[in-house]
Amino acid sequence: MLIQYLLIASSISFLVLFLRKRGTAHTAAGTKLGFVSFAIFSIYAVLRPEDIQLMADWVGVTRGTDLLLYALVVVFTFATLNAYLRFKELELKYARLARTIAIRHVDRPAGANSESAFE
Amino acid sequence: MTDWPDAWLIIPVFNEGQVVGEVVSDACRTFANVVCVDDGSRDNSVAEIRRTDAHLIRHPVNLGPGAAIQTGLEYARTQPGARYFVTFDADGQHQVHDVETMLERLRSEDVDIVLGTRFRGDASHIPWIKRFVLKTVVSMSPNLRRLGLTDAHNGLRAFNRTVADRMNITLNGMSHASEIISMIAQHRWRVAEEPVMIRYTDYSMHKGQPLINGVNIMFDTMLRNRTDV
Repeated sequence: MLIQYLLIASSISFLVLFLRKRGTAHTAAGTKLGFVSFAIFSIYAVLRPEDIQLMADWVGVTRGTDLLLYALVVVFTFATLNAYLRFKELELKYARLARTIAIRHVDRPAGANSESAFE
Repeated sequence: MTDWPDAWLIIPVFNEGQVVGEVVSDACRTFANVVCVDDGSRDNSVAEIRRTDAHLIRHPVNLGPGAAIQTGLEYARTQPGARYFVTFDADGQHQVHDVETMLERLRSEDVDIVLGTRFRGDASHIPWIKRFVLKTVVSMSPNLRRLGLTDAHNGLRAFNRTVADRMNITLNGMSHASEIISMIAQHRWRVAEEPVMIRYTDYSMHKGQPLINGVNIMFDTMLRNRTDV
């Protein structure tokens, strides 16, 4: 059934998201477009449930609500991963900031060369 | 005076107040340059370190051992005359004479980095569960097997300027050990192992990382390089 291919394809795209380098404008824009299209799809689904049922029939899902549920799971996984990676990035920036501050205030032992190596 | 004016010992410290004073003063007897990075300890670690001859850097917040090592390294490599760098644990499990042997090898042999290993020679002093987990880690890591390394998570490492200048630890937590191994593979640093003795005291066993942390380490390592900061 078509839905199986679609769900497998989305799982593969998560893996790609995991494995490739992030931080490019390209991926950021892609993420935003993805979320916008999901929002539009959701509104459409509310307004025209019979169309969703039709789409469900095309891809081989019994009910339109099930199709919506699948889409939701996909988007949720994506959003979670995205937040996780973003969090890791921030953690690293935060560590670098703390490190810079820490290195500015070094306690040197009394006998050590007092001249600072930092210009 | 010591024989190692060009070596810097980097000791990450987190709540090791009970032992850190003694460990650091012991190290200072052999090494002129010791830098302790206090990773936001809440006990008396800082006061204990201040009593020694070590340089002290204090993280304003707790960041993790990987971050602490990187901080110590970034400080040490700007110090005039620094040529060799050593990472050393604050809990008293490492021995100063092992460090000297490793530094001798860096000086005399064609290697960039020498890693301490618990698994060359007699490994019977290692608790069996620890031995089992560490062996499993090695058998699962392609990098370790390719480089012929036997111990993934030994905190004792000595390396030269080439390595120090390029080392950039981005995994703040315990996963830095695997990250360093990947860097060795990636930059093709010449690596050697030196059998070292680990003192498994009640204190260090209690402080050591829980083995379940292996799960975190695997996950972090998988995701490394996915972020570009």
